[in-house]
Amino acid sequence: MHSEAVTVTDLVKRFGDFTAVDHVTFTVRAGEIFGFLGPNGAGKSTTIRMLCGIITPTSGSGHVAGFDLFRQPERIKESIGYMSQKFSLYPDLTPMENIRFYLGIYAVPPSSWKARTEWVIRATRLESVRHRLTRDLPPGWRQRLALGCALLHRPRLLFLDEPTSGVDPITRRHFWEFIRQLTEEGVTVFVTTHYMDEARHCDRIVMIDAGKIAAIGKPSEIIQKTLPDRPGADLQEAFVALMRGRP
Amino acid sequence: MSLKKIGAIARKEYYHLIRDFRSLYLAFFIPLLLILLFGYALSLDVDRIPTAVVDHSKTPESRDFIERLNASLYFDVVAYPVSTEKMTRLIDGNRVVVGIVIPPDWTARLKAEKDAPLQVIIDGSDPNYAGNTRAYLMAVVGERNQNRLLTFLNRRGREPIAVPVEARIRVWFNEALESKNFIVPGIIAIIIMIVGALLTSLVIAREYENGTMETIRSLPVRASEFFFGKALCYWFITLVDVLVAVLMGQVLFGVVMKSNFWLMILASMIYISVALSLGLLISVKTRSQLMANQMAILLTYLPSLLLSDFVFPQQNMPAVLKAVTFAVPATYYIDILNGLYLRHLDFFQMWENFAVLAVMAGILFFLNIRALKKAGL
Repeated sequence: MHSEAVTVTDLVKRFGDFTAVDHVTFTVRAGEIFGFLGPNGAGKSTTIRMLCGIITPTSGSGHVAGFDLFRQPERIKESIGYMSQKFSLYPDLTPMENIRFYLGIYAVPPSSWKARTEWVIRATRLESVRHRLTRDLPPGWRQRLALGCALLHRPRLLFLDEPTSGVDPITRRHFWEFIRQLTEEGVTVFVTTHYMDEARHCDRIVMIDAGKIAAIGKPSEIIQKTLPDRPGADLQEAFVALMRGRP
Repeated sequence: MSLKKIGAIARKEYYHLIRDFRSLYLAFFIPLLLILLFGYALSLDVDRIPTAVVDHSKTPESRDFIERLNASLYFDVVAYPVSTEKMTRLIDGNRVVVGIVIPPDWTARLKAEKDAPLQVIIDGSDPNYAGNTRAYLMAVVGERNQNRLLTFLNRRGREPIAVPVEARIRVWFNEALESKNFIVPGIIAIIIMIVGALLTSLVIAREYENGTMETIRSLPVRASEFFFGKALCYWFITLVDVLVAVLMGQVLFGVVMKSNFWLMILASMIYISVALSLGLLISVKTRSQLMANQMAILLTYLPSLLLSDFVFPQQNMPAVLKAVTFAVPATYYIDILNGLYLRHLDFFQMWENFAVLAVMAGILFFLNIRALKKAGL
């Protein structure tokens, strides 16, 4: 097993004239929660979609879960879990049917379908609504189901794109507890968010702005390095200071 | 390619279908409606032509003429207006298509062995119908003249003579010249296009509109697995529709297939594949259900109806349009069905049609895979 779950070097993605991701280099170590922070439009989603094998980078190089970003996107998709705020489950299917679909697509052996389904339904607290149509569930519940579906094939690496946006604070707290639990089982989590306060849940973070990395490291290190004379400062202030410091 | 993944997608499609009222309606109600509509209402046969006769002569001979006319299957004398003006009004009002005026001196002239003209007015709005009407009327009058001529000659003491030239016509394939024998195969082709292409044109567009295409792209699904998973459900539904259409053709209209049933199933399977591939290709290209639906009607349903030799004969089309008909899959399928239904042909007499359809299916499959790969699968 690689000690690095993700390594990317000089990753670039251009859409026509627009450079969404501009020479990004970082590594994610196995077993950590890695946060990808930045304002909307900074290139977070584009990066995560490249890492998940959904779009091909313009240039650079990288490996995810030991597979090459350019040559083995299918293998990457098989071995990771990906959940995005942007995409949805099938609204006219019940949670059980959605789960069944994912089990088939992830080629989970049918012998373990029952156990996996029960585990996911329990972990995401969806016991009471398993046979209701997904469209009738509250957004927070749908999100939990989406997370559960992304975990059905027991991926060692989980990508979460804005998993908590538009979710109430209590659900967010539950969510982070659940993520922490997963990492204790050895799962590596890569998460993007535009909530600066969520960085405290992360072991290490990257701060990205306009497609470029502004800072990388432990949250406390970043604050200390950016604002050495203000010990009580938070990440939000550090980020603003970083932005101001740019030419 | 994994069968399990195809199965998972097909299963999901099945749930979509049974929970979507519109699709179900399109899949089962429209075919039934079409068969009934085309089979009963939209007959292409010209018979029981509504006719009005103004009989100024009022003699046994004139009444006999009217009776003969009425007795034939082709004319239905529905009105006996007293004047030509009244008859004109019936034609204007679309109540009758033919108006016949028998002059007062008609019988007298006949008896005097002079020429005895009948005035006939035909509504020519529908030239095809009017042409048939004229031909039928000429035949009725011609027969009457022939009989008169023969009795006249025989009365003159000559030996009984026969008609000099007589065309002994035998109609092949569709002996009774009934259009339903020809319509049923055409309907089957149209239904496959409606159910196959119209229905599938929605399915990928729907994924785009629901945002689930992004989900699919993030999953380990190959373009071919996605394609087959999507098509599977609809393939079987369309095949069921074909069987229903064949059965209804037989039970309701007495149209019986003369040739091999399994050959018909084989042709249908290939043609269904063509229709589904067309629908899916439109769907992945347009990415919107509304657009896809309109494109599907324009590119699949209308050409199948208008250019396939079903409604309008291809022989009469200008060269440019004739060239277009070669690209319409229904042309080949209807040709096969006519061969099977009416001509009792076997596979080796029609293999070119099968081959063309199979090649079309192959090309469309390739185009689908390319489009899906471009869409990020």
